[in-house]
Amino acid sequence: MTHAFSFLPAKRVSLSGTVTLTALLLATLCLPTHAAHASAAEEGTPGNTPVERGQYLTHASDCEVCHTAPGGMPYAGGRAFKIPGMGVVYSTNITADKQHGVGAWSDAEFVAAVKQGVSPGGKHLYPAMPYPAYSRLSDQDVRDIRAYLATLPTSASAAPKNNLRFPFSIRSLMIFWNIINGPTSAYPDDTSKSAQWNRGRWLVEGPGHCADCHSPRTLTFGLSSSKAFGGNTLNGWRIYNISSDPKSGIGGWTEAELAQYLSTGHADGHGTASGDMADVIGHSLRYLTPADIQAMVTYLRSTKPVSTPQDSVTFRNVANGDASLPQNSRGARLYASACAGCHLPDGTGRQSSFASIAGGRSLGADNGRNLIQVLVNGTGLQTATGVQIMPHFTGGGLSNRDLADIAAFVMTHFTTAQPHDLEKQVEQTVKERD
Amino acid sequence: MPTLMINGQPHSVDVDADTPLLWVLRDILGLNAAKFGCGIAQCGACTVYVDGKAVRACNLPVGLVGTRAITTPEGLESADPVVQAVKSAWVALDVVQCGYCQPGQVMAAVALLRTTPNPTDEQIDSAMSGNMCRCGTYMRIRAAIHHAAGELA
Repeated sequence: MTHAFSFLPAKRVSLSGTVTLTALLLATLCLPTHAAHASAAEEGTPGNTPVERGQYLTHASDCEVCHTAPGGMPYAGGRAFKIPGMGVVYSTNITADKQHGVGAWSDAEFVAAVKQGVSPGGKHLYPAMPYPAYSRLSDQDVRDIRAYLATLPTSASAAPKNNLRFPFSIRSLMIFWNIINGPTSAYPDDTSKSAQWNRGRWLVEGPGHCADCHSPRTLTFGLSSSKAFGGNTLNGWRIYNISSDPKSGIGGWTEAELAQYLSTGHADGHGTASGDMADVIGHSLRYLTPADIQAMVTYLRSTKPVSTPQDSVTFRNVANGDASLPQNSRGARLYASACAGCHLPDGTGRQSSFASIAGGRSLGADNGRNLIQVLVNGTGLQTATGVQIMPHFTGGGLSNRDLADIAAFVMTHFTTAQPHDLEKQVEQTVKERD
Repeated sequence: MPTLMINGQPHSVDVDADTPLLWVLRDILGLNAAKFGCGIAQCGACTVYVDGKAVRACNLPVGLVGTRAITTPEGLESADPVVQAVKSAWVALDVVQCGYCQPGQVMAAVALLRTTPNPTDEQIDSAMSGNMCRCGTYMRIRAAIHHAAGELA
């Protein structure tokens, strides 16, 4: 046991020194397996039938994005999660197919998989599945999700086998990971806070599992609580700081802007969601009720501020409606010909509000990391009125140097960022392109 | 089935919300003045106005337009002084070579002069840089815009 445990660098885990590992083990073994009492925060879930509630919760939990391969059948699994240094984990088929999906599982088995990360036969799931967050759902919530999934078409295909390096290929190691990092459980309402705040906390920390991307990880790949919502870097993208810090996080946004962003993927003066966040908006958040969006906003604005310089952007005052652009550099001329067609010289967007990049953090944050990702890979956002596409600009007429020059121009024209080594970053991003 | 307001007339069309506006204009309504060029909002040949603002119709889903007013090159009012000035400048300076991009160029030029009545070379270059011309009539376009601005002054 000690031997197996040594695979996990436990040094940085922030545990109280008085708590011994033995006590922790015992505590874990005593974790309640029955449902904790549902909190008042859960009472806001709309729907008159289990299937209706389940559909809402399936959206709120964003099951589809991870459990669908690119271009594949929804919920049939097969999306790859590359974990640096460990290997590749594939999401599973959660359609009701009896052989390859979850159709043959009992309700109790389904609940245990979603909330405790243990699937039938005692098989431990990898925490790419955010079961520590989902453990905040009630058992009834999870059964409702299952009831909804059972109404959808089934897929008789199995997800590809995981390809993990030893020792990460040993699933039972997750027993130790769980001791350190997780599953929590349903938690009581904080009676000093409003019902709206409690509902928001539950949505953000439970089904929404926002911290899974937006919080940095500890050395054991648990979620950092000291820097909660302080941002992270995943798959080459910067996942921005969404703590209440006014400079690095979302503290400078108005409530209306946050609500507009979460429910549509765009907020005037803050740009448009791209990459994985566009998927989260398109497949999950845009289905939430205005009351729930408002609850999330209320909670997010109450989090502890975390300062992260790479997420802090100072914008230059680019005059609205100014049709002129400097034509004195390659980047400026390339922006005028390749970008201004949709985004306009002042960045306010020609085609629709979704094309407005003005005020977007990606214009200056983290040495252009996400800006370059969007240029190299493109991005798409599902909206109520069709898909909004930003095409990628690789493999056409623009070279890596052209893209780097465009990024440098955008960063210095719209923000005070001082970009460096952008061409190298473009090359790296192109190389990592699937 | 969205109803679109095109050149002052309502048009009900049976298309998906995803359909690009240019497809509706050209294939369904037969308004062929806006041209298909690149299909990715890079060349400007398909320029139309939505609420007076120049947009690329090839890349604009009709679902996003809603009931806002669409103006195609067919809908440019000859009586409008800016339109008149641009058209006569285009003729006076013999701007056009093959002509394919020119509906878009004229739309962009009119939009520019409406917001910037006396543009500098730099303002013309950046406002018009989203409109490609494979014949390379750029210098004549710039001169014609100055000419039209002079007529309007």
